[in-house]
Amino acid sequence: MPHVPIERHALQNGLRVVLSRDPRAPAVAVNLWYDVGSKHEKAGKTGFAHLFEHMMFQGSANVEKGQHFSIVQAAGGTLNASTWLDRTNYYDTLPGHELELALWLEADRMASLLPAMTQEKLDNQRDVVKNERRWSVDNQPYGDWDERMQALVYPDDHPYHHPTIGSMEDLSAASLDDVREFFATYYAPNNAVLTLAGDFETGVALELIRRHFDRIPPNANLPAAPDMSVDALMGSEVRVTIPDQVPLPRIYLAHRAPPFGTDAFDALDVAADVLGSGRASRLYARLVRDEHLAQDVSVLLFPIVGGASMFSLWVTARPGVEPDRLEAATLEEIDRLAQDGPSEPDLDRVRNLHRAHAAGALERIGERADRLSMYTCLFDAPERVNEEVSRYAAVDPARVREAMGASVRADNRVTMSYVPAEAAA
Amino acid sequence: MTGRPAATAPRPYRFPDFVRHELANGLRVWLVPLPDRELVSVHLLTDAGAASEDEPQAGVAALTAQLLVTGTQRLDAGEFAETTERLGIEVGSESSWDSARAAFTALEDKLSEGLGLLSEMVRTPRFDEREFERLKAERLNDILQARADPGRLADESFLREVFSAGTPYGRLSAGTPDSVESLTVEATRAFHASRYAPNVAHLIVSGAIDPDAALANIEAHFGDWAGTGPGHRTIEPAQRGGRRVVLVDRPGSVQSELRVGHLGIGRGHPRYFAAIVMAALLGGVFGSRLNRRLREELGFTYGARCAFDPRRASGPFTATAAVQTEVTADAIRELIGQLEGIRAEPPAEAELTEVRDFLVGVFPLRFESTTGIAAAIEPLAVYGLPDDYWQTYRSNVESVSTEDVAAAAGELIRPDEALVLLTGDAARVREEIEAAALGPLEVVPAA
Repeated sequence: MPHVPIERHALQNGLRVVLSRDPRAPAVAVNLWYDVGSKHEKAGKTGFAHLFEHMMFQGSANVEKGQHFSIVQAAGGTLNASTWLDRTNYYDTLPGHELELALWLEADRMASLLPAMTQEKLDNQRDVVKNERRWSVDNQPYGDWDERMQALVYPDDHPYHHPTIGSMEDLSAASLDDVREFFATYYAPNNAVLTLAGDFETGVALELIRRHFDRIPPNANLPAAPDMSVDALMGSEVRVTIPDQVPLPRIYLAHRAPPFGTDAFDALDVAADVLGSGRASRLYARLVRDEHLAQDVSVLLFPIVGGASMFSLWVTARPGVEPDRLEAATLEEIDRLAQDGPSEPDLDRVRNLHRAHAAGALERIGERADRLSMYTCLFDAPERVNEEVSRYAAVDPARVREAMGASVRADNRVTMSYVPAEAAA
Repeated sequence: MTGRPAATAPRPYRFPDFVRHELANGLRVWLVPLPDRELVSVHLLTDAGAASEDEPQAGVAALTAQLLVTGTQRLDAGEFAETTERLGIEVGSESSWDSARAAFTALEDKLSEGLGLLSEMVRTPRFDEREFERLKAERLNDILQARADPGRLADESFLREVFSAGTPYGRLSAGTPDSVESLTVEATRAFHASRYAPNVAHLIVSGAIDPDAALANIEAHFGDWAGTGPGHRTIEPAQRGGRRVVLVDRPGSVQSELRVGHLGIGRGHPRYFAAIVMAALLGGVFGSRLNRRLREELGFTYGARCAFDPRRASGPFTATAAVQTEVTADAIRELIGQLEGIRAEPPAEAELTEVRDFLVGVFPLRFESTTGIAAAIEPLAVYGLPDDYWQTYRSNVESVSTEDVAAAAGELIRPDEALVLLTGDAARVREEIEAAALGPLEVVPAA
């Protein structure tokens, strides 16, 4: 595997800086992770971290509304941002000679977002975000599966209990005061990681970073991290049936799991791939190809760090297949893996796929920068980007058995069945 | 430090050089050596897309392509999946209107084995009856799922309504429920036997290769591929006339999915570059007119955009937005207003410069991955674009003037002939759409 070069620095104000030089293409990725996500939201403010992310594109002291996007695009760059449970990231990839432009834009909004805020902008982006929710959740078949699942896997008072997109009611209630408070609390250099990957001279890049970010004051009163503690097991199975406008029944299973970053998480990562990654995976081979029970299968392990992660999967029933039969066959495969562990061919397959996927992902400087920011923000350990393949390859059958046995079990499971509404009526 | 910083001198970038060969059997080979990579991407294209199938067999091209990964004469479906994935290779195989493609990306030391498996699956596929019936059922199920999804329902309905009856482009390239239902495994075998042949195929390899060694490798795996295939049929798309509004009723929808457009351009259109620059300005970048107005000013949508879909013949031009139900008629008016606006008020130099600079500046970023570079070679192979296409791409974009954009908009954007198609809750939006007098309205149930 190629070794991702890493150089770490920190500014006086606490901004953590990671540099990874790669001059192959004349381009540079500028990536910022703020250590704030929807888990930091207070009751009645769900969806605010994400709405705030939208406000970061509405201009700052020296940038007009809409210009952040336009300036980067006109410079030949691509950019976006995303918000999730643990964090918010902002990312630009530009021609290398426009590096300073991206640093200036990111610093301007980190330093001086508030002078540009208006009620009109907030109202506009509130409407945009509500339409994002309608589009991705409310008007989509099975669209609310993840918010239903989070609400069932995590207790009411846990920060992962509510979805990142938030509720319409809470979005309606968001105010300019909320914007001011959130910015002052979380958008500080000592709560962020800045990563550069691509074509730059290290000395010049550091000089530019200092020029633009040194002046931004830290927040001396960063709040303590939210209490994420939660029992490792749910204690009993929760089953729900959801009638929806869907043509095919679909079953979702979810379990509390060890957090991202732990050895047990790595073992579940391997288990997830043995079960669901590729056409030779156990669930695809049996449910889709051999027994014609399922239209599709998907296994998803959430890379989140607070208290407990989620090991989830879904299977969509073929027409005429009783969901109970599909569920029973799915559980048989899960239990077989927990009992017997993966075979050598299983491990050989998923390790080689994982290695090729890692190489493909790290080919792109934007992805490399994002992973460096992620490992720094979540674990203060950017070098973990170079350990992904070895950590994965170190998982043996005993660890898979142990991790599956500890988490992927009936007394730690949410089972949600979407069924066609007319059939349920 | 508050002013916008100046850029330093740009470092030149050149699209990677490639070499072309033709094997004795007619297979055309494109090699793109990228010595600093550890991956290699292989894309095999054949002239076996949906444009090559007869209408009663619509969908046979797609099913044939998908069947290629379900086993060879030597390996059954499970063994083929196991064998490829244990090499870290996931083979994809699919078809579009103008070609079928089998492709994979692998670590460079797996190239030879990967080429061998690719050759085996394309030349000696199994066409197992049980696998055929499975894929056929999955395709029919996917159509069911698509019609429950408002965006996919709108896409399919738009194609059906915008083209004249009899134009193949009026359906999805993967076929309709009726046509797919009638397909047999023999039909896919016959389609494969007549359409998968070296003289109508291109093999593109980009990444960590030594060109001579790669060519020898390809010769070893594909040199004895025999047979000849015919070209594709000619499609002459025609549009149904005049402005019409079609409302596909989807009760309970909290948004309306809008698709507004008409016949667009083919890949060989003389105004191709003016058209793509104009479309980017109108609805291709974040600050485009459509997105700025419908999202950033009005908050009607999470995003509004538009694009041409150029194929060998003229595909559609479509403007797209999902808008909240309450503002449906206003949003349609605004969207049509932007189509009228690009004709009435072509861009000034500054607006155009921003878009041209984006397309030119972003050029190197499009070719970061080995598979991205292989994909960039595809239109050269499929549409016969000149070998220097990518070397001249940026100057072609840069030479598009405000006059060119105005002329392209005048010729290619025709709001008076646009079909306005939406999926939404008719009980809530029908009345206001009628009142808006956007054109004759037809309300149809969701299929």
